[in-house]
Amino acid sequence: MARVELDITRRQFFGAGLAGAAVIGAGNSPLAMRYPDPPWFATGEVTTTYNYCDMCPWKCGIAVQSVDGKVLKVDGNINDPKSRGMLCGRGQGGVSFMYDPDRLQSPMIRTGERGEGKFREVTWEEALDYTAEKILAIKEQYGPESLAIFGHTTGDFWFTDYFAQAWGTPNAGKPSSSLCLSPRDEACNLTLGYPVGGHEPMDWDEIECVTFIGSHVGEDSRNTVMQDFIDARERGAQIIVVDPRFSTAAAKADHWLPIKPGTDTALLLAWVNVLIEENLFDREYIDQYAVGYEELEAHVKDLTPEWASTITDLPADQIRETARVMGQRHPKAAIMPGRHTTWYGNDSQRMRTVFIINSLLGAYGRHGGMYFDKSPFIDSYPHPPFAVTGSAGGCSAEPGEEVSDELPLGPSGKARADGARETFLRGATAMQELIDPMITDDPYRIAGLIVYGVNLLNSIPMPSRTIEALKKLDFILAVDVLPQEHIAWADVVLPEATFLERYDELSTVPYKTPFIQMREPAVAPLYDTKPGWMMARELGLRVGLDAYFKWETVEEYLDTRLRSVGSSLEKMHDAGGVIIQEGKPYLEDFGDESPFHTPSGKIELFSDELAEAGFDPIPVFEPTEEPPDGYFRLLYGRAPLHTFAKTQNTPVLSDVYPENELWINEDEAASLGYENGDRVWLENEAGDRTGPISVKATQRIRKDAVFMAHGFGQQSDGLTNANGRGASDTKMMSRYKLDPISGGAGMRINFVRLVEGG
Amino acid sequence: MTSAFLLDMSRCIGCEACVVACKTGNELPVGRQYIELIEHTSGTFPNLTGGFQNQRCYHCSDATCVAVCPTGALFKDDGLTRLNRDDCSGCGYCVQSCPYGVPKMSDGRSSKCDACASNVGGGGSPWCVTTCPGKALKYGDRDEILAEAHERVDAIKARYPNAQVYGETQAGGLGLILVLPDDPETLNIPADPPPTPASADLWKNWVQPISVGSTAVTVVGLGVLGVIARRNHVAEMEEIEARKAAAMAGGDAERGGDDV
Amino acid sequence: MSESNGSETILRYRRTPRIIHAVLATSFLILLFTGLALVWGPLAFIAAGGWSRYLHRIAAIGFMLVPVLYVVFDRKSAKEILVDSFKYDSDDVAWFKKMYRYTLGRTAEMPPQGRLNAGQKLHHSAVIVFSSFIVITGIIMWAFKSSLSAEMLSWTAMIHDLSMLALALLLVGHIFFTYVYQAWSSMATGYVPKEDMELEHSKWVEELEHEGAENTSA
Repeated sequence: MARVELDITRRQFFGAGLAGAAVIGAGNSPLAMRYPDPPWFATGEVTTTYNYCDMCPWKCGIAVQSVDGKVLKVDGNINDPKSRGMLCGRGQGGVSFMYDPDRLQSPMIRTGERGEGKFREVTWEEALDYTAEKILAIKEQYGPESLAIFGHTTGDFWFTDYFAQAWGTPNAGKPSSSLCLSPRDEACNLTLGYPVGGHEPMDWDEIECVTFIGSHVGEDSRNTVMQDFIDARERGAQIIVVDPRFSTAAAKADHWLPIKPGTDTALLLAWVNVLIEENLFDREYIDQYAVGYEELEAHVKDLTPEWASTITDLPADQIRETARVMGQRHPKAAIMPGRHTTWYGNDSQRMRTVFIINSLLGAYGRHGGMYFDKSPFIDSYPHPPFAVTGSAGGCSAEPGEEVSDELPLGPSGKARADGARETFLRGATAMQELIDPMITDDPYRIAGLIVYGVNLLNSIPMPSRTIEALKKLDFILAVDVLPQEHIAWADVVLPEATFLERYDELSTVPYKTPFIQMREPAVAPLYDTKPGWMMARELGLRVGLDAYFKWETVEEYLDTRLRSVGSSLEKMHDAGGVIIQEGKPYLEDFGDESPFHTPSGKIELFSDELAEAGFDPIPVFEPTEEPPDGYFRLLYGRAPLHTFAKTQNTPVLSDVYPENELWINEDEAASLGYENGDRVWLENEAGDRTGPISVKATQRIRKDAVFMAHGFGQQSDGLTNANGRGASDTKMMSRYKLDPISGGAGMRINFVRLVEGG
Repeated sequence: MTSAFLLDMSRCIGCEACVVACKTGNELPVGRQYIELIEHTSGTFPNLTGGFQNQRCYHCSDATCVAVCPTGALFKDDGLTRLNRDDCSGCGYCVQSCPYGVPKMSDGRSSKCDACASNVGGGGSPWCVTTCPGKALKYGDRDEILAEAHERVDAIKARYPNAQVYGETQAGGLGLILVLPDDPETLNIPADPPPTPASADLWKNWVQPISVGSTAVTVVGLGVLGVIARRNHVAEMEEIEARKAAAMAGGDAERGGDDV
Repeated sequence: MSESNGSETILRYRRTPRIIHAVLATSFLILLFTGLALVWGPLAFIAAGGWSRYLHRIAAIGFMLVPVLYVVFDRKSAKEILVDSFKYDSDDVAWFKKMYRYTLGRTAEMPPQGRLNAGQKLHHSAVIVFSSFIVITGIIMWAFKSSLSAEMLSWTAMIHDLSMLALALLLVGHIFFTYVYQAWSSMATGYVPKEDMELEHSKWVEELEHEGAENTSA
């Protein structure tokens, strides 16, 4: 957060020179860049449209204000249960995102070599015809499963979910699964019988103790969570933060545990030990709703705070005390499940421990604990059965869906190529595991790739491997808003209109009060861009999927769906942009029915499924590799004004936070000869380098790790603000550890050292 | 009734939503922001405390920037300090004089938060207040804001024994009332900013008007006087010429000429 | 002595001092106007964005050069001004007592004056004094502004502005007397009617006649 000062200094005067009056006049003309007067909302009639924000996958409901065909402001929609009228900094940057001068403006077909970035502008017809031709050829030669579809951002439904299933490829994935949520959701599936879902169902209004393992509220800037967290805290809820870094959340905590990275499971098991030993858990609740307690009790008998203390580098007293703080407040106490949980490759087991603790606390289905999400009711637009059932998962996965043992097969009899059931037990498509098949043709050839919105080379670890795959593919289609790094490798580029310029599929949000959000365009698409739904439809019509696109306009599609809940686009707009339904959040709402969709119908503290598959049925602490001498563990996370690798080019956000910084312990830095503000490069064990990045020498982090915000250090000439700014954590990931239960990619196992120069 | 902001720093979570909402709503140019968040840390690992300083206009009642502004571009209105950029000559005295370092030069003129005057005037709310997810910001009647600030301080005393209201009396009373979790120095905020120097008041409210007045009076006075004096002088010169002519004529008469 | 319009004239100001006076007058007016733009709202648009501020500084250099130009190009006049402006005799005192007559356009009964009448001496010395104040405070604000406290800045600006007020009022008076006594030619051509000089600066005319032929022509 650099200070910015603009002063007319003597330097400017002398520089201009006595004879430089003309230069001076031109540069400082009172006519240049005058602050607008009158303000934008006084220049004409203000139109309001409703939307769900696309600046991160959280999808806060927003109200968009425009005047005379120009979008000018975005704010939270007061009717929306997620934003409640408020909005984070990234959401506020939505207008700037839309008017980013670097946007892709026209469909393009590659002319040079892959990676050169040479294209010619073409019509939509030509681009779509060519794409259809290429993917039909792949289908002909290898089968439809040979087309992989990667997608993310809030418009990913049309390609990664709808088109993929209609077309018949099980190889559709979102980075939000195996590069983010999978361990959390699979652990929850195994323990409670449903995934955590899009967001964490903490009952904030009444909770009395919240524990965060790594979740850095405030820095990860999630609107609703920030609101709820601050309110709960002020109401008197105890806050416990476990983090190797003194994060914003840690600074607001009552207890901060500066844990040694990679040892969280030991801490969690010790907490289980204390809760059981000191009888601070909800015995009645466990008796009624859980199985496997005896095994659990025996399992943790020796896993005391003293045992955990040497592993975690935390005082035993602190471990014991914080367990007591939680236990004394049950059932109004819970550990926040978090979101990005792909850390060390054993993450599902860590998350299992989290959910075991929450169960011991009796939180599930209780007031002040963790409520049950319910999906909103609304009919889908009728379509023929899909050619394959999807498994892309992602942030908006619907809870309560049964996961069958059998992997869905595509039309030519092939299952997912990501190693599901072989290298990992269960879960959504593991995107990073589809890269190898693109290179090795094992288990079968993946010849085509559609990338919707994913910043391919800045999200999947081992980017050099991704480049190799991009070289081998027969066909690559990139659908995007900006010329991200991988665009130069595409064969066809289709420019999408931003979320403010288009309709889109309804957002259905499982919640305490389930609700439906709409997206309606504030203005027509800029340049020659089109909405994703239109591209999916046009492509579908060209490849024989007419039956799935029977609607003529997307308005028809949306109105048909809304009719099933007695609404329409117009009615929904007039009602304030949201439809809210009744939820089923607590145990008392379920009667005899069990909310836990496990095989036993109860919370499974002991997992038979894991035991049968040869995994620890109750989590066991496994140490993780330590950094060698002279190296630091590379930890990454979020900065409040940026989302993953998506927003670094957005002018207003880049203006306030243009570059990430390298957090390093102040004393460590000094011993290496570095000071706050020095520019350094990072080098991993494989010799890859990234930088330069500014040193942030601080007391706020342990000596064995460094930390930076993810998504910087991008390399794309087309991105004026993002190009070459800061360092890239992705480029430091020369390896990752696959979580054998969920397929998640553990990415915090890379070690770096500080070097001079690139 | 005057208006004021409430900023509860125990609630501020450093998300910078206010920064971007303000930039966007006020259409600020690249490189300019009215609000800046600065992280503070004290102690050594692992015994640390920390928070954010919200660098933004404090809307002082006794506003030094207003006192030193020669053109009156900066002025007080409804308890807040506004800036009319059209009247700003870019002299930079406000930038120099603000004890909180708030105004900055931008595009040749001073620039700073004007509490979203147009927005509020139209019945709306300042952009930062609307968007804050921590609900740390409020805007309304100053007396009510002050009362709420005290209530909030009491509510957080258990967690922050040193919590205090800042802005009740500083700089004559601020238009930005802070709930601070600790002493202002911990967030780099001056405990008691220096009052507006009497010289500024003297200069702006006495010297300048008197200068204008006296110049005007002198110009008008000497203008009128000039006309009178010129006439007098012309008359005097004519009289002298007449006397000279008479003297010459008299001399000729003595010589006995008759051509007079 | 030369003839013009049938009356005799005396050379009062040579070319060099007239040029330097032009430099002084021009830079002063620019400084007045551009300085005003910094403190007067309706003119603020000229200052904001920068060009008048640079013009102010350029003109300030011109203004500060005036004494330098005198020293370099016409040391005699420089010395003359300093000596004449700060030396007062009993005639000057008497002149001040009757100054209201002179102000009202009457030269009769004013005590005899030298090259500069008492009023002109006062004008010169006041201009020199206030110009020094304004230059010193101006340099402080130009080069050292950022190290001034709010209080010091307002004092410095106040002295600068008050000095300018004094100089402006002196300018108004200067133009007043020039108009009343139609003295434009002293700067336009350098020559003034001998008759006027005999009336208002008799002691100077006597001095010139004693100096002899250099100042007269047959």
